[in-house]
Amino acid sequence: MKLKKCFNLAWNILIHSKLRSWLTIIGIIIGIAAVVSIISISQGAQQQLEDRLGSLGADILTVSPGFSKASGPMGGFREGPMDSDSDSSDEQKNLTVKDVLVLKNLDNVKYVMGQVSGKGEMTYLSKTASVSVTGVDESVWKDITYDELASGRFLVQSDFFSVVLGGRLVETTFENKIPLNGKITIEGKSFKVVGILADGNGVYMPLDIARTVLEDVGEEEFSSISVKIEDVEIANETVGLIEKKLMFSRGILNEKNVDFSVSNPSEMQATIQETTQTMSLFLGAIAAISLLVGAIGIANTMFTSVLEKTKEIGIMKAIGAKNKDVLLIFLLNSGMIGLVGGLGGIILGVFGSTLIGYWGSTLSGGESRMFGSTALTPELLIGALLFSLIIGMIAGAIPAYRASKLNPVDALRYQ
Amino acid sequence: MKNDIIRIENVWKKYDMGSVEPLVVLKEINLTIKRGEFVAITGPSGSGKSTMVNIVGALDKPSWGSVYLDDENISKMSESSLAFLRGKTIGFIFQQFNLLPNLSALENVMLPMEIIDQDEKKSRETAEKLLTKLGLGDRINHKPNELSGGQQQRVAIARSLANDPEVIIADEPTGNLDSKTGKFIMDFLGELNSNGKTVILITHDLDLVKYAKRIVYIKDGRIEK
Repeated sequence: MKLKKCFNLAWNILIHSKLRSWLTIIGIIIGIAAVVSIISISQGAQQQLEDRLGSLGADILTVSPGFSKASGPMGGFREGPMDSDSDSSDEQKNLTVKDVLVLKNLDNVKYVMGQVSGKGEMTYLSKTASVSVTGVDESVWKDITYDELASGRFLVQSDFFSVVLGGRLVETTFENKIPLNGKITIEGKSFKVVGILADGNGVYMPLDIARTVLEDVGEEEFSSISVKIEDVEIANETVGLIEKKLMFSRGILNEKNVDFSVSNPSEMQATIQETTQTMSLFLGAIAAISLLVGAIGIANTMFTSVLEKTKEIGIMKAIGAKNKDVLLIFLLNSGMIGLVGGLGGIILGVFGSTLIGYWGSTLSGGESRMFGSTALTPELLIGALLFSLIIGMIAGAIPAYRASKLNPVDALRYQ
Repeated sequence: MKNDIIRIENVWKKYDMGSVEPLVVLKEINLTIKRGEFVAITGPSGSGKSTMVNIVGALDKPSWGSVYLDDENISKMSESSLAFLRGKTIGFIFQQFNLLPNLSALENVMLPMEIIDQDEKKSRETAEKLLTKLGLGDRINHKPNELSGGQQQRVAIARSLANDPEVIIADEPTGNLDSKTGKFIMDFLGELNSNGKTVILITHDLDLVKYAKRIVYIKDGRIEK
């Protein structure tokens, strides 16, 4: 029998199948929908994460005062109980110009920028809000930052009472949008807005001015130092080198007494990626179980279907159908159950992941877009469809084989 | 062309019944059917006539002995060759009509032709011609459940003729029909025989036996002389 005819007969069985077959198909729809949405959501989240981490810059190391357990010297967690010596790190000795100079001379270091940061009261059109203020070294800021300008310009060395504002701050913090070249007041001092960034909530101003605006910031001290490196591949080695040199220049002999920490974004990225991958794998495994249940449902339906169709199989054999024709018809039939389920699953999955993406971005008010975008790639959709077809055929293989081996006389006698 | 179309030599058929004695349904059957013959195989219920015809029709294999169709020993053939033989050389008409319920009359008749890979267009033409000849020209798109018993049996006859087989095996073809429709069917079988087809009729109805040119009587699995 020609493949086309077998296909037609298999389709005929499917469209005339009873409620049971459609319930089986619903099982596959749910399984595939779960797989499609989970994969698309986790891929989307991963992509978002990578984009965001990418915008932080894998090539920028940050030196902060105080010791952070999670990113201490030599990276990783410190083992064992904290002794009294380590408490000294909590004193948070600020970073100094001397530290900046030390870092500037290291290998693999391209730019070094000390910065100060803190909270300040900002007033615009008689409305006041607390904002985060960062004083940046205007000579290197544009080289070191990954922030993009939406309008205006970055700070330059001739700027004094000039600020660059984050995009979201401009749009949402005050009732009225702050225009470029508009005037704002921070801690009683008047500033001109010379640039607006594409995103962010921060206020950026020249370092020296920030020192006069922010409280608790001493002369020649920095809240943190950003270090742009040339080769990200050797970031870990550079972190080690920075730690070594700073310990030396700050007169620290024991690792336990380290009073600064160096964060390495590429290491953080790897950890976060690993975490999201593990999460995707875990959720995918749950979805796979639902698919397995669906596949068992197909096998069950096919066994019953073959039993129901026994007489028809006998008739087909009596009028000349070969074993392989019967095998192919039932194999195609079970493949179709899988495929129809797969198609339905993809539609439901696309709908579901879009809905979750929408909720994700709505509920977080645009703040966190972790689940705000989904990645529905053609590879995922085609893969899901092929997978459902294969699952259907595997589940139907034994029932189809049994059908093909039926003795025509026995099958004809079956009531 | 040889004159004998079917030759059965010393055929036995027994069914293993597990713990009890095997059931011997056919015993030492020897029968020759000539090309173009109209043979009625009759006998009481359970005498083994259907089993014998299933073996002749390549639906079943004997436990012992040989069955020759056109001098070819079909009891030794593979399942796939037997399937081809059933499709091409033998046409079955059953008491229960045995049409595929989800296919239309036309599709049911086309199926044996499509099974042996005949062109779809040609199959459609042949099926339409056969159905029209059997008075079902206006019913070709009806499903079996939309047809009367007599109409269904006529569709089954059209299907049995689809591949223009040499042998027609009719197993109690009028068993489920009223006498008028039964007579139409028997007359049609007679006409087929007049046109050269070999017809094997299985019946226990002595009124139908008269259509045949030869009667073979089976009792307790043996042919009675």
